[in-house]
Amino acid sequence: MPPTDNELMEDVRDGRVEKLAVLFERYQTMLYNFFLRLTGNRASSEDLVQEVFMRVLKYRAGYLGDSRFNVWLFQIARNAHIDHLRKLKAALPLDEQHAETPSREPRPEAAYEADQEAELIRRALDGLPVQKRELLVLFRFQNLKLREIAELTGVQVGTVKAQVHRALKDLSRIYLDLQQGRAS
Amino acid sequence: MSCDKIQEKFADYLTGDIDATGRKTVQDHILDCAACREDLEDLTVIWAKLGVLPEEQPGGGLRHRFYTMLEEYKDGLESERKAARKEARAGWRDWFTFRRPAFAASFSAFLLIAGAAAGWFAGGGSEMKRAGLSREVQDMRQQIALSLLSQPSASERIQGVSYSASVDNPSDTTLAALFDAVDADPNPNVRLAAVDALYLFRDRPGVRESLVRSLAVQTYPLVQVALIDFLVEVREARAAEALKKLVEGGELTPEVKSRAEQGLKQIGI
Repeated sequence: MPPTDNELMEDVRDGRVEKLAVLFERYQTMLYNFFLRLTGNRASSEDLVQEVFMRVLKYRAGYLGDSRFNVWLFQIARNAHIDHLRKLKAALPLDEQHAETPSREPRPEAAYEADQEAELIRRALDGLPVQKRELLVLFRFQNLKLREIAELTGVQVGTVKAQVHRALKDLSRIYLDLQQGRAS
Repeated sequence: MSCDKIQEKFADYLTGDIDATGRKTVQDHILDCAACREDLEDLTVIWAKLGVLPEEQPGGGLRHRFYTMLEEYKDGLESERKAARKEARAGWRDWFTFRRPAFAASFSAFLLIAGAAAGWFAGGGSEMKRAGLSREVQDMRQQIALSLLSQPSASERIQGVSYSASVDNPSDTTLAALFDAVDADPNPNVRLAAVDALYLFRDRPGVRESLVRSLAVQTYPLVQVALIDFLVEVREARAAEALKKLVEGGELTPEVKSRAEQGLKQIGI
């Protein structure tokens, strides 16, 4: 039976840092897509994944193992993303500092044509404020349970349920607007 | 149940993470509530559409960067561990330099017991065998001690002093090497270690006399204090004259002079 994430991370914490390689292989794609859906930038997303694992090593001694490893990992990922946004804002001119929409890289024409539906939903997701986008990405794509998101964000489960409901409604509205704009 | 409460269940309803009772509650409500029914239909559509977003794979460069980072981190960690081990060893050596007579004595006792036990087990009960083996061990220690005491490195000479101290009954040659170390070693730490080692052999003829003589030629304050402590500890009456000369000589640091005067009183008692 393969070791659990928690067992591996406890090994890393206790000095057997080479075990982090197993966790990297398990989580690199998940984290990459988490960041890609938040930033829309592949290079930044890779940098952020690397940053997360560097922080895992940096803070390994503080791993208590009393919650699920993925919750702890995504806590680090969220903080890395917040720091990334701060750096971006500091680098932007003042009049652009409130823009939260990620800058999507241009996609090849063929792929765009073949995947119009995905592009539309991607743009709708980009149209959400960053907090709502992050919430939906965690819930829909990272397979985090509502109670885990509550633990991650430090709010009640009921609040998370209401937030998910509102975020989905907003996404649906943006999506319909984009769809109608394309049709007209 | 109110619309707000029902809508709170929609997230679980979409993922299927809801029990049969909860599902039925939602379904019963939307049969009667057009607004919630429409709301849930919109959410279901957008939930399904999110599923068309493909999962992308990071480039191979990420893996390469991660493993490079991990290797560097491991190397750094290993260096830290080595440094810590080295420090621990240095601390261990410091502890075993016989600066403290009481400790040196207990260490010597430990060696004696360990040697005797090893001899007993190895000798199969034969007294002669055990004695022979013990002599060989002692001779070997003395040879190592003498060899180390002649090395140019101070840390090796300190090791040599430690080896000398582990000999039960050192030869006159070994004792002479220790006397030389006390009087003439260029490193004061070696001199101090030699004084401490000689404390173990304080009852051997010549040891006290040699250290009394050394008091007159010693120039390092710390070693002077160690010699005074030694001679006071063994209540060596012959040291009184040397101490008196030392105090009257007027070339002592205030601390050494004070200790010498105090020692003089202690020996005089």
